[in-house]
Amino acid sequence: MNKFFTKKLSIALFIFIPIIFLCHPNWFGFFGIQPYWPLFWLLPWAMLNGSIHGLIYGLFLGLILDSITLNSNFTQIPGLVLCGFWFGRIKENSDFWVGHFRYGLICSFASFLCGTLYFLQIVLKNFSDSNFYFFFPSIQNILAEVFLTGFFAPLICSQLFRLFKFSK
Amino acid sequence: MLDIRRISTNRWWHKKNNWALLGIFLFLVFVRISKGSIYKDIYFYISKPFWPGEFQKEILLKSKDQESLIELNILKRDNKRLREILYLQESSKNDIISAAVISRKTGSWWRQIILNKGSKDGAEIGNVVLGPGGLLGIINNTSLLTSSVTLLTSTESKVGVWVDRVQMNGLLVGLGDDYPRLILYTKDADIKVGDFVSSSPASTLLPPNIPIGIVQSVDDSFNAEKTAKILLLAKPHVIDWVQILKVKI
Repeated sequence: MNKFFTKKLSIALFIFIPIIFLCHPNWFGFFGIQPYWPLFWLLPWAMLNGSIHGLIYGLFLGLILDSITLNSNFTQIPGLVLCGFWFGRIKENSDFWVGHFRYGLICSFASFLCGTLYFLQIVLKNFSDSNFYFFFPSIQNILAEVFLTGFFAPLICSQLFRLFKFSK
Repeated sequence: MLDIRRISTNRWWHKKNNWALLGIFLFLVFVRISKGSIYKDIYFYISKPFWPGEFQKEILLKSKDQESLIELNILKRDNKRLREILYLQESSKNDIISAAVISRKTGSWWRQIILNKGSKDGAEIGNVVLGPGGLLGIINNTSLLTSSVTLLTSTESKVGVWVDRVQMNGLLVGLGDDYPRLILYTKDADIKVGDFVSSSPASTLLPPNIPIGIVQSVDDSFNAEKTAKILLLAKPHVIDWVQILKVKI
């Protein structure tokens, strides 16, 4: 049982992502905004398993997260698929500090990419209305998310990377 | 030399009693100048229980309350009758389900709450969710045990509202931040900061006159529309219990 759990640790943590996405723990938040949780799992997973796995699991994550959010007109899939593919091409850095810093930087950029793609969908959907520019102030959502994701990534991603490597 | 010392110890300011008398004198001067306001204020509290008009005031207020209650019931009946004639939405106290918030996403793009009452308990898509303060959102999805609510701040939320002071209908659009925008489709609308916004009486989706928010700022618009930033009365990020209002669509 223990061996099974160790081997399937990454999958167990995959299931945990939508739960934490719904839990929305306030102590991690900043003005009510949370880090973009799926990236913390996707980055170490794709780094160990390659671009194709990253792309596929990015799609899976997108599907699950879309199903638990109510915004039926917008999707998180494109951002996560692109990030999954990109993360698969990144290799582990041997230097402790540089490696940690890279996790933060990569996750920040990925969060910016996902947030921007989502925001563009909202703007495009409302483009026909004359008031589509109303949505511009909500860019602050992207910025807060980028900051938080980059802030927590070095800690969470490095630990997950070690766990996944150990269980592989 | 000795004489001088004896005289100086006998000066009036060397006696404590004299200082006390001076203090009392100054206090009385102050009372005189203030025209006895301290005395009057103390007397106000002492005599309060014995005021002759107090009991009468209570009777009057009670009568006024009863009058208002009767008037309210008449107006409610009238309103119901008129809404029936116009085939508009209505709701009754019997159609309320209390529910707890079990998940809350009030930041970022996804603005939703999940409640612990689902289709098993009678919650349906389109039901209105109220919290302390007023309208929170509309149920967008139900499972057997839970229901998901799209908050008014969500980018997917668009509801018809009523600005009572200017007697005008408008559209409340969620933008993905904490302040939805009110759009009034006329440039001449005289909305001001502090105007009260409630659900539109003409709405076919929402029950009428549910408090929603107040105008926080009015935008300078060059379009043919007038827009304003709305501060919501119900705060979804702190509310733990809500009420689901069953709306007959």
